[in-house]
Amino acid sequence: MTRLTFIAKNSLRNGRRALLTVSSVAVSCALLVTLLTLQRELTVPPESEAASLRIIARNKVSLAQPLPAKQLATIEKIPGVVAVTPFTFFGGNFRDETVTSFPQFAVDPARFRELLVEGKIIDGDYVEWVKDRTGCLVGADTVKRYGLKIGDRMRFTGTLYPCDLDLRISAVFQGTVDDRGLFFHHKLLDEATGDLGTVGTWYLRVASAEAANDVISRVNAAFANSSAEVRAETERAFQMGFVSMWGNVKILITSISSVVVFTLILVTVSTMSMAIRERFRELAILKALGFQRREIFSFILAESFGLACLGAGIGIGGAWSFWTFIDLQSLTRGFLPYFEVTPRIMATGATIAALLGIIASIAPSIAVGRMSVVDGLKTLD
Amino acid sequence: MAMADEPIVSIRDLYKLYRQGEIDVTALDNVSIDITRGEFVVLMGPSGSGKSTLLHIIAGVDRATRGKVLVQGINVANLTESELADWRNQNVGFVFQSFNLIPVLSAFENVELPLLLTQLNRRQRRQQAQAALELVGLSDRAHHRPDQLSGGQQQRVAIARALVTDPVLIVADEPTGNLDAKSAADVLSLLKGLTEQADKTVLMVTHDPKAASFGTRSLHLEKGEIVAG
Ligand SMILES: Nc1ncnc2c1ncn2[C@@H]1O[C@H](COP(=O)(O)OP(=O)(O)O)[C@@H](O)[C@H]1O
Ligand SMILES: [Mg+2]
Repeated sequence: MTRLTFIAKNSLRNGRRALLTVSSVAVSCALLVTLLTLQRELTVPPESEAASLRIIARNKVSLAQPLPAKQLATIEKIPGVVAVTPFTFFGGNFRDETVTSFPQFAVDPARFRELLVEGKIIDGDYVEWVKDRTGCLVGADTVKRYGLKIGDRMRFTGTLYPCDLDLRISAVFQGTVDDRGLFFHHKLLDEATGDLGTVGTWYLRVASAEAANDVISRVNAAFANSSAEVRAETERAFQMGFVSMWGNVKILITSISSVVVFTLILVTVSTMSMAIRERFRELAILKALGFQRREIFSFILAESFGLACLGAGIGIGGAWSFWTFIDLQSLTRGFLPYFEVTPRIMATGATIAALLGIIASIAPSIAVGRMSVVDGLKTLD
Repeated sequence: MAMADEPIVSIRDLYKLYRQGEIDVTALDNVSIDITRGEFVVLMGPSGSGKSTLLHIIAGVDRATRGKVLVQGINVANLTESELADWRNQNVGFVFQSFNLIPVLSAFENVELPLLLTQLNRRQRRQQAQAALELVGLSDRAHHRPDQLSGGQQQRVAIARALVTDPVLIVADEPTGNLDAKSAADVLSLLKGLTEQADKTVLMVTHDPKAASFGTRSLHLEKGEIVAG
């Protein structure tokens, strides 16, 4: 027998309690890891190098305010702009759906190719789309999800605009950070709405990431003091601003995570105190046999730490495999496309569990430290 | 052989006071005794007379309020908690009324337990634990857990645990209190054998005059005082 076998035998002496302790730590750790992953998913937009080559210019007042279509001529002439296209969110419901389950944008197909930096056309023909006014370019994820093919019709009920769309798939793209979107001719939208002479936003491509800041200032300056002032920012900055709407959700998730950790501490501390308290007499015997106080502390710590880490291993490992092997993208219809349990998140969970093991051993250690051998021997088994 | 006559335990003017609220309870009152090597001393007296208290102080798990306790010339009262723990491991073996084996460990592991604190390697620990179990006649029960053993067997395992570190002094607080007559006799013969053959010194508390008859000398305590016996 070694000290380690002694600790192991003690930890597992009450099988049911050990199982319950390990399970509650495991479940809580899995929950915690899931919450942290969700928080990350909601606050970190997909990263893409191309995103820093693209600029979105919107109405300075708000995103919902349109911009005059005639701004195009001015923007085109700004040095550093490689391409520019109107970029208007249509927000229609596909078929009989009651929610906008993937975004549709009205763009200028002739110029949009330049903005689809990372995207590859995997089916159909881009040029066909440019030629076909009712044609659309669809992301591979959406095509796959609805089992669509080139030539299929896609009907949308407008929610933001008082018109419906009837589109035909001309081409399919893949390889962007979000392969769900659908793009169609802005001219079609203009016709359907009676030519409002507005666009939602402008979508610009710059030559290099370094040039982006200059272009942004020039665009902003070009429309300063006009009736429609513009706010331009990189696509990445735009996404960050967009997700800041999730700020409240972030606080909510943080609160829930704290409650989970707190509950876990209560459960572990009380379980550990119970486990040690019912063994007071045995610990008194160990003291009588000559075990030092610090050795008895280390037994308690090792047991508490061991159970917490075992639970954490199962919980975190379980959460990782679950979220890695489950297709959350299709389950949430693309709402949570990645849901990656990162090493950093797992390390956070493991650290919390380790601290938990240490915290849970403090109270019993103090109690055992105070106990005299004689008092300990008097306690009943 | 002057050494042999030196007392193993030498107690002078020992007092132990317990404060219970406003009242002081004198558990030991001016106790002085000497015990020499190889003696089997039996401590008798009515319940509450201070027998356990005296035993605990001699064994270094409790401290006297006043007075001197020398064990092999060492003043136990001067040792720190930590030194005392080491001292107990090397010099004292404990046997309790309720056996007090660790329930999750086998008989063999219970005996081996105090050896974890020594410098012995794994093989030496095994050999020594094996020898102690053989001495109490339980090598065939080595891998049984305490709840698979009878009371008498458990107490013999406890004796093996008490002597495995080869201490000079073995203290036993009513070791036969929970045993039937036959098992009690076995345990008592074992303890007597240790004093006769292994030159151990045994200090045993008991109520039972029959148990007391195994001792070489008996002391009587009454209200914390040694009375002529
Ligand atoms: N922890 C304690 N606090 C207060 N009084 C105690 C304590 N331990 C023992 N006593 C008292 O000391 C006296 C001697 O106790 P003890 O040595 O256990 O007697 P015995 O073993 O002879 O029955 C008793 O009166 C007992 O009530
Ligand atoms: Mg007693």
